[in-house]
Amino acid sequence: MQVLTAPRGLIVDIITPFTKGGAIDGPGLRKLLNRVSPHAQAVFLASPHTGEGKNLHTEQRVELLEQAIPAIAQNPIPILIWVTQDNEAESRRTTIALKRVIEKRGYMGDLFWVDTPLYYHSNRGLPGLYKALCSVVGKPYILHNDPELINGLTKPLKRNNIRTAVLKELVSLEGITGLIFSGSLGRVHNYHNACRRRPHFRIYDGEELHFLDHPSTSGVVSVGANLAPKAWEKIIQSSLDLSAHNKDYPDHLQQIWELGDYLRDMRDLYLQAPAPILKEILSDMGIIETPVCTFQVEDTKESKSRLKELMTRFGDYPVRDC
Amino acid sequence: MIIEQAKNVLTIEAQSIFGLIERIGPEFEKTVEMILKAKGRVILTGMGKSGLVARKISATLNSTGTSSLFLHPAEAIHGDLGMATPDDVILAISNTGHTSEINRILPMLKNMGVKIILFTGGLDSPMADFSDIVIDVGVEREACPLGLAPTASTTAALAMGDALAVVLLNQRRFNKDDFKRFHPGGSLGERLAFKVKEVMLTDEHIPTVPLGSKVGQAIEEINAKKIGATLITGKDQRLEGIISDGDLRRALINKKNIPEMKVEEIMSLSPKTIDEDETSAEALGLMELHAITHLVVVDEQRRVKGVVHLHDLLGREGFIANAGINSATRAHS
Repeated sequence: MQVLTAPRGLIVDIITPFTKGGAIDGPGLRKLLNRVSPHAQAVFLASPHTGEGKNLHTEQRVELLEQAIPAIAQNPIPILIWVTQDNEAESRRTTIALKRVIEKRGYMGDLFWVDTPLYYHSNRGLPGLYKALCSVVGKPYILHNDPELINGLTKPLKRNNIRTAVLKELVSLEGITGLIFSGSLGRVHNYHNACRRRPHFRIYDGEELHFLDHPSTSGVVSVGANLAPKAWEKIIQSSLDLSAHNKDYPDHLQQIWELGDYLRDMRDLYLQAPAPILKEILSDMGIIETPVCTFQVEDTKESKSRLKELMTRFGDYPVRDC
Repeated sequence: MIIEQAKNVLTIEAQSIFGLIERIGPEFEKTVEMILKAKGRVILTGMGKSGLVARKISATLNSTGTSSLFLHPAEAIHGDLGMATPDDVILAISNTGHTSEINRILPMLKNMGVKIILFTGGLDSPMADFSDIVIDVGVEREACPLGLAPTASTTAALAMGDALAVVLLNQRRFNKDDFKRFHPGGSLGERLAFKVKEVMLTDEHIPTVPLGSKVGQAIEEINAKKIGATLITGKDQRLEGIISDGDLRRALINKKNIPEMKVEEIMSLSPKTIDEDETSAEALGLMELHAITHLVVVDEQRRVKGVVHLHDLLGREGFIANAGINSATRAHS
């Protein structure tokens, strides 16, 4: 297996749009991808929270990837897709089904499997599991550590974080190229220490606020970039200096400061229920067909209206560029 | 909240340095060897905050025995590049490896045959391609929100610079005396605050011969007191003149049988003087003004009270250590 280096920068945690009938909204997804991908380094499909991956069975994820590939092919950036299911066998079945899609489509772009191992497996034996998986699935993995997700399981495991010693072993496998991290700053330092022997191993901030406060040099998985991809791109460029753009114009710092406040305020407004609120707005913008979700939606009217107001102030609403 | 934020920042900065430890390897050894072998200087360069770090590393190298200077990349393309020679080593600092001002000068330096070392987190950057040695100083995260200012990354570069300076210092067997030679500043400040009477030579340490003595006697006095001159005194120790090494050299050109001549024939008649209550700083200023190395300390009647020598102002121990000058008793010791 030729091992890819995981991308560095902005990874957009794409919402999964549905039609009224509950099928994947292909045109809506393509519109959304066409809008965000020029500003991002990668897109993340079927993520457990924002992408509603927890509620997407294998066939829906297959459909999602099939619909995404044509749009991504126009702006080729890496695709990350969540392959985790309730158990090991089902997760492996999903991965193989997705692998068939890219083989069938002859997709040549970069693709990474994102897996949350503690969702279906304990820390014990994880290195052996991934050794076997890497040899079968042919594309590299990015691990996902999300204690909140594990805590939400009906039968939560004893540990809700990947043990640092286990991560150290996992990192020695070539096929594991990065980690999306949610959790405490203290733990991420331990993880960094465990991964130092791999120079291009990425540890992404899985929480936007972490990145805005203390930016990881690997990048961030952003929910808000569904709505404000340009603003996030600018923050990423400033934080990671990806294009070494000229920062010498007089009000650069002020602009970045204001943009950071904007993204923080946005986050506060969609944090209550990211997928439903983002879908409402994207639907109102005419990008996706409906705000349909895979779960019961709480009342989000106030957040939605305040978010629209905020986006209008910063010129992100109504849509200018789709 | 404030304490928590401060702790987070310090933890991130500390982690940035810890992260360097495992990355120290053969590239660092090559860097040390390259600098030790270089016949020229280590030229530091960097823009913005990295430029400030480069300046500090340059200062550290200079004070620990490695000749170094700072080259501003923007000034370099307007002529300052001329300060680099093929014997020099460039040490460029750029967190991303994309700094356009440095990217512009590296090809020119490369053409000149200057060796290039790069401290960067951008291992795949164009700047890294141009460099002979790349030292990875990349960090996992910055401490400053929104990347508004480089924080952990500049800390890491600075720490790596210190590591380099200290290793070079050890390799060169730089010792305490070398360090003192490069750091006169601290003790110098204190010395210049002394009164002249506290640092001047007095009593039997003053080189002096009476009027009417032979020059041979004056030469013996100069040799004995070792400050390169002797005073010529008249009645009541009044100052009449001075004979310095220079006066002797000039006399040798024109006269014969110098030792048998009278001191009055070759002495300078108006030696520079100072009051004993003046400061050492004032004395040093007078010496600089008249391009001389000693002043005679006299009272209102021009009676000799002492002699102050440049060495006593700047720290005789330092001169002894570095120039082989014997110690002399100061008035206050």
